[in-house]
Amino acid sequence: MLGLPALATPEEMQAAMARITGGANVRRGRVKLQLPPLVENGNSVEFSVIVDSPMTETDYVKAIHVFTEKNPQPYVINAYLGPRAGRARITTRTRLADSQTVHAVAELSDGSFWSDSVSVVVTLSACIGNLV
Amino acid sequence: METINLNRRSFLVSSAVAGGGLALGLQLPFGITAAQAAETTPEINAWVVIKPDDSVVIRVARSEMGQGTITGLAQLVVEELECDWSKVSTEYPTPGENLKRNRVWQSYSTGGSRGIRTSHDYVRRGGAAARMMLMQAAADQWKVPVNQLTVNKGVIAHGASGRKVTYGKVAAAAAKLTPPDEKAIKLKDPKSWKVIGKPMKRFGTVDKVTGRQVYGADLKLPGMVNATIMECPVFGGKLKSFDAAKVTGMKGVKQVLRVGDTAVAVVADTWWHAKKALDALPVEWDFGDNVKVSSASIAEVLKAGLEAPQAFVGNKAGDIQSAIKGAAKTIDAVYEYPYQNHAPMEPMNATARYTPDRCEVWVPTQDGEASFAAALEASGLTADKCEVYKIDLGGGFGRRGAFQDYVKQAVLIAKQMPGTPVKLLWSREEDMRQGRYHPVMQCKLTGSFDSANNLTGLHMRLSGQSILASVRPAIVEKAGGKDPLTFQGVADSGEHSIGYTFPNLLIDHAMRNPHVPPGFWRGVNINQNAVFIECFMDELAHAAGQDPLEFRRKFMAQHPRNLGVLNAVAERIGWSKPAPKGRFRGLAQMKAFDSFVAAACEISVDSTGNKVKVHRIVAATDPGYAVNPAQIERQIAGSFVYGLSALFMQECTVKDGRIEQDNFHVYNSMRIAQMPKVESIIMPTGGPIWGGIGEPTICVAAPAVLNAYFKATGKRLRSVPLKNQGIELV
Repeated sequence: MLGLPALATPEEMQAAMARITGGANVRRGRVKLQLPPLVENGNSVEFSVIVDSPMTETDYVKAIHVFTEKNPQPYVINAYLGPRAGRARITTRTRLADSQTVHAVAELSDGSFWSDSVSVVVTLSACIGNLV
Repeated sequence: METINLNRRSFLVSSAVAGGGLALGLQLPFGITAAQAAETTPEINAWVVIKPDDSVVIRVARSEMGQGTITGLAQLVVEELECDWSKVSTEYPTPGENLKRNRVWQSYSTGGSRGIRTSHDYVRRGGAAARMMLMQAAADQWKVPVNQLTVNKGVIAHGASGRKVTYGKVAAAAAKLTPPDEKAIKLKDPKSWKVIGKPMKRFGTVDKVTGRQVYGADLKLPGMVNATIMECPVFGGKLKSFDAAKVTGMKGVKQVLRVGDTAVAVVADTWWHAKKALDALPVEWDFGDNVKVSSASIAEVLKAGLEAPQAFVGNKAGDIQSAIKGAAKTIDAVYEYPYQNHAPMEPMNATARYTPDRCEVWVPTQDGEASFAAALEASGLTADKCEVYKIDLGGGFGRRGAFQDYVKQAVLIAKQMPGTPVKLLWSREEDMRQGRYHPVMQCKLTGSFDSANNLTGLHMRLSGQSILASVRPAIVEKAGGKDPLTFQGVADSGEHSIGYTFPNLLIDHAMRNPHVPPGFWRGVNINQNAVFIECFMDELAHAAGQDPLEFRRKFMAQHPRNLGVLNAVAERIGWSKPAPKGRFRGLAQMKAFDSFVAAACEISVDSTGNKVKVHRIVAATDPGYAVNPAQIERQIAGSFVYGLSALFMQECTVKDGRIEQDNFHVYNSMRIAQMPKVESIIMPTGGPIWGGIGEPTICVAAPAVLNAYFKATGKRLRSVPLKNQGIELV
């Protein structure tokens, strides 16, 4: 397909997640996605992903992936970590195109995948109505 | 049995009230009342609380800012609830409660003329569900089938046995029942409405007239301090430094604080002491490059955009280039519309109290959830630790919904004084300097005619600022760089679609974004688009030697509802008969916010052409449904005050990168003596879509008056405000 779709859909997000996980089972837990439940306009939203992991040579977080359902494309960030990271924690900002659910997936050194999700309401959407 | 379970916070609050902490006897804001009500009185469902004495509290999510929306929303609920209107009052559930209850009250946004039209269905269902549960409770008590019961004004009756019971007596039992599936409820046929469509008296009028109404600017909390603030007057500039030592000794001054990167605030015992200190405070700004920008430099950029090769297309039909190339004659004109400020009577304000465990904000806001989001962000706390209490607004007009800068400022100040409530109130000057301005726009219109004087095409090239590029870039990205909102009133489809069909048409926008922060000013882009297209339609009619009404009708066969309101105002003004001597008429029409509106006016102009009197103005609106016709009349008249003040007297100009107009002596407003008589024709035609009321009519007054001015003088006015051409409203 030429160019990107106007906005991703939940299905496209699932497909993007499947490409990362290779279809492996993704379990809820061990991951904490910190995102406010309400944001004003979605232009710049701070979030953190914290994974419960000792981050040792034998037990660490390999990667943290964050996905959105309705942004122009589904990937927000793919962060690759290792034992030298010390802590499995990333904090950054993203733009949220509309009210939607954001998903964080952590890939551990044992090959398992864990996730968390937060639904975010973008209050400015209501003001602009059917343009969103 | 219910146990009354006062949590620590509401105990403290109520003891503050009892303890006379509020010396002036002002009421505490709504949020406290809701919390107490929830603890002592059963809610039937989220929308309806019925007290044992049969009084009814309707929960309202939207905000009251003088537009009468809470009364209209209550009418919608009460129609289905079938209670006694005289026993009804309203309350605001807090955004925090909404979040905790999975957004049971849905959107809090009060803007875009959306309050009633986007919530009418689910609030009616809320009322109906409550009615069904109350009746079921009575049926259970009497052990009869519920379909044998009737209800009227909150009294449930069982005809066969003659038994009666009021809502208050069955409320507790009803609250325990399983609610019905709201989607399956059948709502009343509009033909049988008894409350909707009636001119019910607005809530809150007596309090406003007697001064009991508490606005955010009036708020007093125990232990509260007062703050005022100045942000860098050149947008995009930064605060460099300030010399607090020069003012800390001044009377009442408690703190002089940096707020973010761009502002400095003074906190004092009283607002006046804070203001005096801030005025005396030496401040150094780093203005940045935008200090070079002026209205003249902006106008130059916009003018170039009128001829630029690239523009975003908003509406298109046929082939305008061919139509213009092959035309027997073309006429064109350039119009311009300035920056405008909301200038509500009540300047921006918010009161905040911060501790690491709790952040509370009291604020007049058009969107309680947006204020909540702003408090979350500024406090850095989690949602369960934050709360916002909504206060009725002393004017919103679009300044207080999408923009919560004053909330963030108040929280940032309160964070530096933990435990102390801080009331931040902007001065009028700050309110004028830190607006979110209606965007500046120029427009070049070209019409092409064939040799028989038929209009074959119209090109409308807009050049100017996009609101969404600044406020919501994600939408502009989604549209490939275009701002779809720019085409309000002349769009190709939707709630703002154009009210004409032309054989060849191009409406495009050369986006030019100055550094001045744009925002949603009542009506938004319909204001300038109505002037551009409705005045140019008159120019085209004149060029074709045709009557402006007859000329328009030729292009409206596919726009029956537009035609309906246009014909209504034309008939009422007496268009087909000559005007009284010395009086001249103009008209205009547009679709906006899913309502169809038109205006026709009658003016006189003195011999110099400089004094205009508007004798009559007739407005027609078809909003699909009219919930409160008395309120609609007042909204129409109020929108004309706003729109005609802008037409004659108002503009925000830029000098040295900042807005020049800093108070009402240079940003004037209409007076009662200048206000024309407004005749309203409210003509709802029903259908599947409900249209808005707050904004649509604002756009048709100005072009109607401009068109009448041409009739009176032969002079075409293409630039707003008219004071710049020496013209005044008398």
